[in-house]
Amino acid sequence: MGSGPKLKRFQTGNPVYEEKEQSGQLVKRFQKQLPFHILVGLGMLFLLIFSYSPMFGIIIAFKEYKISTGIEGIFTSSWVGFYHFKTLFNDYNFPTLVRNTLVISILKVIFTFPIPIIFAIMLNEVKHEFFKRFVQTASYLPHFISWVVVTGIAYAFFSTGYGIFNDLLLSLHIIDEPWDVLTNSDSFWGLAVMTAIWKEAGWWTIIFLAALAGIDPSLYEAAEMDGAGRIKKIVHVTLPGIKGASVVVLILSIGNMLGGGLVGSNFEQTMLLGNSLNNDTSQIIQTYAFKVGLAQGRFSFATAIDLMQSVISVTLIFTSNYIAKKVAGTGLF
Amino acid sequence: MRRKKTLEDWILDSFITIILLIIVFVTLYPFYYILIITLNDGADTAIGGMYLWPRAFTLDNYIYFFEDTKWLNAFVVTFLRTIIGTLLGVLFTSMVAYGLAKRDLMFRKFYFIVVIVAMNFSGGLIAYYVILRSLGLINTFGVYVIPSMLNIFFLLIAISFFREIPDELAESARMDGAGEFRILLKIILPISLPLMATMSLFMGSGQWNSWLDSAYFVQSEELRTLTYRMMQVINQSQMPAGDSQSLASMSKATVTPFSVQATAMVVSIVPILCVYPFLQKYFVKGMMLGSVKG
Repeated sequence: MGSGPKLKRFQTGNPVYEEKEQSGQLVKRFQKQLPFHILVGLGMLFLLIFSYSPMFGIIIAFKEYKISTGIEGIFTSSWVGFYHFKTLFNDYNFPTLVRNTLVISILKVIFTFPIPIIFAIMLNEVKHEFFKRFVQTASYLPHFISWVVVTGIAYAFFSTGYGIFNDLLLSLHIIDEPWDVLTNSDSFWGLAVMTAIWKEAGWWTIIFLAALAGIDPSLYEAAEMDGAGRIKKIVHVTLPGIKGASVVVLILSIGNMLGGGLVGSNFEQTMLLGNSLNNDTSQIIQTYAFKVGLAQGRFSFATAIDLMQSVISVTLIFTSNYIAKKVAGTGLF
Repeated sequence: MRRKKTLEDWILDSFITIILLIIVFVTLYPFYYILIITLNDGADTAIGGMYLWPRAFTLDNYIYFFEDTKWLNAFVVTFLRTIIGTLLGVLFTSMVAYGLAKRDLMFRKFYFIVVIVAMNFSGGLIAYYVILRSLGLINTFGVYVIPSMLNIFFLLIAISFFREIPDELAESARMDGAGEFRILLKIILPISLPLMATMSLFMGSGQWNSWLDSAYFVQSEELRTLTYRMMQVINQSQMPAGDSQSLASMSKATVTPFSVQATAMVVSIVPILCVYPFLQKYFVKGMMLGSVKG
């Protein structure tokens, strides 16, 4: 850095003047931009406090931190190395937590990824504008509703006492006794995936509808000339036309797999739909960290769990992006 | 359509129409079901078997809801945090975005790296809680509206939006001696209506729906939000066979915990229902812009 101007001084005939003007210009430019730097600086300060200091706080995963010592405690508490990680791996809950996290995450990626694509292709085939808009508007509604309300709706539907679900199945003699969907370990995974689809599948059609709108109409005309019917056109024009968007969305959902894929709902679902009776299939790593941290006050241990999950997530993001680049030629970064 | 409908067209069109109608039904019926529960006598609902319309029509649930101080207070807190939180969030995020959108801004690269790193990495909830606690935000109204002031997703969208605005607009105001903050408020924001609408909708519905902060960052009963109260009812009914038992013990009342909770759900859905369909063209555009940016 320091050698730059010196070298220049050698080369140009008028060194002193030029350097002075350069730095003077920079200061002038900065002064002129000062209002903008103040605005941006406020944002940077905000990120420093609310994003970067928690990142720095990660070191308590390697320490014995007590909440009562406040912010200084982060630095003054004693180091314990990988003690909390060892505790985690020896925790009798650990294998179940890992299994639940992986199963729920993978099921969600498998089921929540293709449904918006199929839905969008069907919408794209609708020629009646009003009907199309109506279906779209209706399908966006659950996206704007809180998971708490979705859980409330699920309770109203599946309750064994008065819920419509059991009422209907019983009166149609499909089942003989009430099926307890809500407090049953066998049904939690299905419940989590179904509610995630119900809430977010409509919303994610936006991306694919945008990609569908970008397909060159002359491709359809050419296919028609060749005598292709509607289904042939879907297979040979529509599907290849949204390949790029699909890859991007797939990377996004694999990258955020542990959070719940596209819909990113693992945490909230377990917190709300999980209960003491379906614990052994509903408890995931993230909620466990949250519970031992905030309820039991084991902050260092909980941070260690958080950290482990973050490391896996970041690895997933970069790996899926790398694979997508190799396979499809498109990636996010 | 130019060409004649073939048999394939007929089959495909009918198939798609039927599937889409089923999707609409599956999406909307649950909302309707909750609505008729709130308009029905709570004890009567508990018997079950009501699918299509209220069997014993009453407005008692709504009267109870708006007379109960606990629910009413939660409603007011939720309303306030939505208004204040959205206002702060939209204003602060566009402020920072306006700064970052400035052409040939010095240290631009550095600023962007700070933003991108903050977007992709986090310290996890526990470390975040420790920071909130050290800042004295725990158990205050501020914890609802301050940490959400800067939304990085919308920051990036807003930057690319502001860059599209011709510089001459701001330049002429600058000539007249207006400060940058004034230019942002009086010129940039008013012509960025689609962006403002999308941001308000998402930040607003985020504030309105949020429950985690109310459950874990606040202990004072006066600060609880609507979604938190609903969650409480859900948790109570999660006791083994709890819902039928607690309802049975209240069978004389026309209002049950469940019917009040359903009422709260309707109260929380209605404002969203009144707003989002009218902003549809804006947020669809915003989502597409966001997805292109990654």
